Amino acid sequence: MAELKINGKSINVDVEGGMPLLWVLRDELDMTGTKYGCGVSSCGACTVMIDGVATKSCTFPVASAAGKEITTIEGIAKQGQLTAVQRAWIEHQVPQCGYCQSGMIMAAEALLDQNPEPTDMDIDESMTNICRCGTYQRVRQAIHSAAKLRANEAELLG
Amino acid sequence: MADQDKKSKKGKWGRRAFMITGGVVGGGLVVGVGGMLWVNHKIKQYTGEGMGAGDSLNAWIRIAEDNTITLAVPRSEMGQGVYTSIPMLIAEELEVDVQKVKIVHPQPESPYANTFLLTGQPRNVYKGMTLMEKIASVLPVVGTGGSTTISDGYDTLRAAGATAREALIMAGAQRWGVDKSECYAEDGHIINKTSKEKLTYGSLAADAAQIKVDKIPTLKAQKDFKILGKPVRRLDIPEKVDGTAEFGIDARPEGLLYAAIRHPEYLGGTIGSVQNIEEVEAMTGVKKVVVLKDGQGVAVVADNSWRAKNGALSLEVTEESNGHEGLSTAGVAAKMKSVIANNEMIATPESEGDVASVIASEGNQLIEAEYLVPYLAQATMEPLNCTVHVHEDRADVWVGHQAPSVIRDKVAAITGIDGANVTINMKYLGGGFGRRAEVDFVIKAAEVATVMKGTPIQLSYTREEDMRYGMYRPAVMSKFRAAITPGGDIAAWENKMALQSVGHSSMMRIMPSQAPDPKDDPMSSEGAAHLPYAMGSRKVAFGDLDLPIQVGNWRSVGSSQNGFFTESFIDECAAAAGKDPYVFRKNKLADHPRFVAVLDKVAEISNWSEPAGDNKFRGIALHKSFGSIVAEVAEITKVGEKEFSIDNYYCVIDCGRTVNPDTIEAQMQSGIVYGLSAAMYGQITIENGKIVEGNFPEYEMVRMNVTPHITTHIMEMDEYPTGVGEPGTPPAAPALTNALFAATGERIRELPLVKHGYSFV
Repeated sequence: MAELKINGKSINVDVEGGMPLLWVLRDELDMTGTKYGCGVSSCGACTVMIDGVATKSCTFPVASAAGKEITTIEGIAKQGQLTAVQRAWIEHQVPQCGYCQSGMIMAAEALLDQNPEPTDMDIDESMTNICRCGTYQRVRQAIHSAAKLRANEAELLG
Repeated sequence: MADQDKKSKKGKWGRRAFMITGGVVGGGLVVGVGGMLWVNHKIKQYTGEGMGAGDSLNAWIRIAEDNTITLAVPRSEMGQGVYTSIPMLIAEELEVDVQKVKIVHPQPESPYANTFLLTGQPRNVYKGMTLMEKIASVLPVVGTGGSTTISDGYDTLRAAGATAREALIMAGAQRWGVDKSECYAEDGHIINKTSKEKLTYGSLAADAAQIKVDKIPTLKAQKDFKILGKPVRRLDIPEKVDGTAEFGIDARPEGLLYAAIRHPEYLGGTIGSVQNIEEVEAMTGVKKVVVLKDGQGVAVVADNSWRAKNGALSLEVTEESNGHEGLSTAGVAAKMKSVIANNEMIATPESEGDVASVIASEGNQLIEAEYLVPYLAQATMEPLNCTVHVHEDRADVWVGHQAPSVIRDKVAAITGIDGANVTINMKYLGGGFGRRAEVDFVIKAAEVATVMKGTPIQLSYTREEDMRYGMYRPAVMSKFRAAITPGGDIAAWENKMALQSVGHSSMMRIMPSQAPDPKDDPMSSEGAAHLPYAMGSRKVAFGDLDLPIQVGNWRSVGSSQNGFFTESFIDECAAAAGKDPYVFRKNKLADHPRFVAVLDKVAEISNWSEPAGDNKFRGIALHKSFGSIVAEVAEITKVGEKEFSIDNYYCVIDCGRTVNPDTIEAQMQSGIVYGLSAAMYGQITIENGKIVEGNFPEYEMVRMNVTPHITTHIMEMDEYPTGVGEPGTPPAAPALTNALFAATGERIRELPLVKHGYSFV
């Protein structure tokens, strides 16, 4: 039995401690926004945030996630208001097939949390997710736009 | 006489379009456009979810009283934008806001047949169908592939919109008691020109359903378009940024169990027996071990995908190699070499003049080269999966697939349930690239679900099973000879290839009745034969290979290798002639103004005539596939010994009229990245009869850090639209390798580049 805190809610799950968080989310909790791509921490489709750090959930044992703040794609929009990253993703029409985009967006959120004004090189270094549709150019543009949106919002909030 | 009657009736029906009445559901209206009426003008029940229980024959448009407009989108959304482009085509003539329509994915019925897939020609909406179009409709062939969605639907979908609009106008005119010329349609309303009164489509829909439109209205000219040709925000993107978009693997019907599979590891192998079924069935969460027919796999059903996978990995199986344990990549290459050396050609799709004597004649420069590309996996981001629920007398299927009509038949055959009682719930495809036109994962899911009758089963391949149980782009060898005149003309061009037939291999699995003999497979030589360049005598031929390796469609299919081969070798010809690669190509395209225009444009936007700069180099490639002409220039920087940065790609496409230009740009970016992954890293290799690569670390692909900046230009044309999803891919590899030649003098004749010690930053 593990007590998980997912998107601000406490949830008890009764599974083997070694089960990767990804499969707890997808198959035990039916939270299917987080995707399976490789199972070996290579592609990033399963990226979630654990205590604010972009983490590949396909190899992250659920036992290690207990007591930590887990944020998934379903939990980033607040009161129905899309985040700056999500809005930038729409603005730049980033997704194609869309399967990798939950992970891409989570990685971008985590990047901007750590680094509000990433350079192209910063983006190259931290955005290592695979997109088989090749949306990288628009992902890059959207991250730059989201950085500006976030900065403007911070200014408005004073 | 009776027969004659029938014939004349067919002709008559075929030349007329009708509003189909009777489909009034919940106050709504289902309308359709003629063309299928010759087949069966009896009322036919539609099962499409959301289209209601209407009895229309050709259902594309439904208008509810509250003015909700629902459009049928029977093509599969795999990233190429059809969930937006199909509504755009209908909305242009229907005069509605495309951002406000609702879309549904109907069952794979005849009206939704993709006739272009079979005929390669657009339908003439003002005429009856040709024989092949009728065959495509009767089967029906409802599928998405070959970059055909727009080419297939460009006129028929606009006609569907126009016919519905006409009926609504007539209904409005009736309501006001005026002539229909006194009314026009705008933004979901019919407007009375004189009184300026407005009526919503919804308020007229029921009346419009009773009206027959006996002639398809003239479709708008390009200059009058309000929607087409302008960038439109994709309807599927909002749900792809918040995690709510449902892919096949996200289906969660009540009571779902998950299945993992172990395939035979040997190519052409079979699983003989499983030693520890009881032990695996005792594992946590495992419900059942299912041995599939003909030794094609063993599935483990559990209450969680991870537990199912652990069960599958714990299976102890004996496997028969069936004599293929010695198969290797080197062995396949040796076989190809021998087929070419011994001239074991099975087809000569192009032959003009006497190539051999021109090559033997003195005075010309003879150049020869042998090219080779490896097997490639499509590697869709979403691993292959299918969910099937077998009930007593019906079956439900949840899947992302390119050919719903085909899988409905396959599920019917496996389960013994009538196809009419098999419902396909089409989900988003997490990438298709040809792999999701295959039926293996659907058949296996249906087999397991039949054993587990009453329980929905989601069968997913792990990434490793997905990659190793492939329907690969074939490995191909291409041997060229060319004679170059002292003046720099190509006097003779010969290309002999050796490859497995994709058309034969894939269609034997998908639709055996349509499987071509390997010698008749047009895909083997597509992009290799009938090149636009002036080249005197020419001969293009190919030979076959008998191997236990399944080959299939891979984005751009034959052009994926032939674009690389031909655009590399034409570059070799240019170098042999001592000419600039752009100028050399252009000089050989005198009879092809559209090619010249594309080539000139890419030279212009890439500043081809200006020096590239210190340590910077360029390569150019031009290729037509799926009806569209694409030219690309790669611009690279040498940063170390065999180490390069791919800085820019310049891309120009002529795909005729455009539907959604933003999608075209996205598809060019996508196609280039896909082609670059193959050029730089892609190879599926075989050792001791088994596939080596199983996951991304071994089958690497382009990521953010090596992606070039891509500049796309779309030619403004008033020609019938052609493909967009695939044509960006073929020129990507040769543009890069031609740039590497400019940088290093090394001609790359075998992919991938990592094999030659190249690396990219």
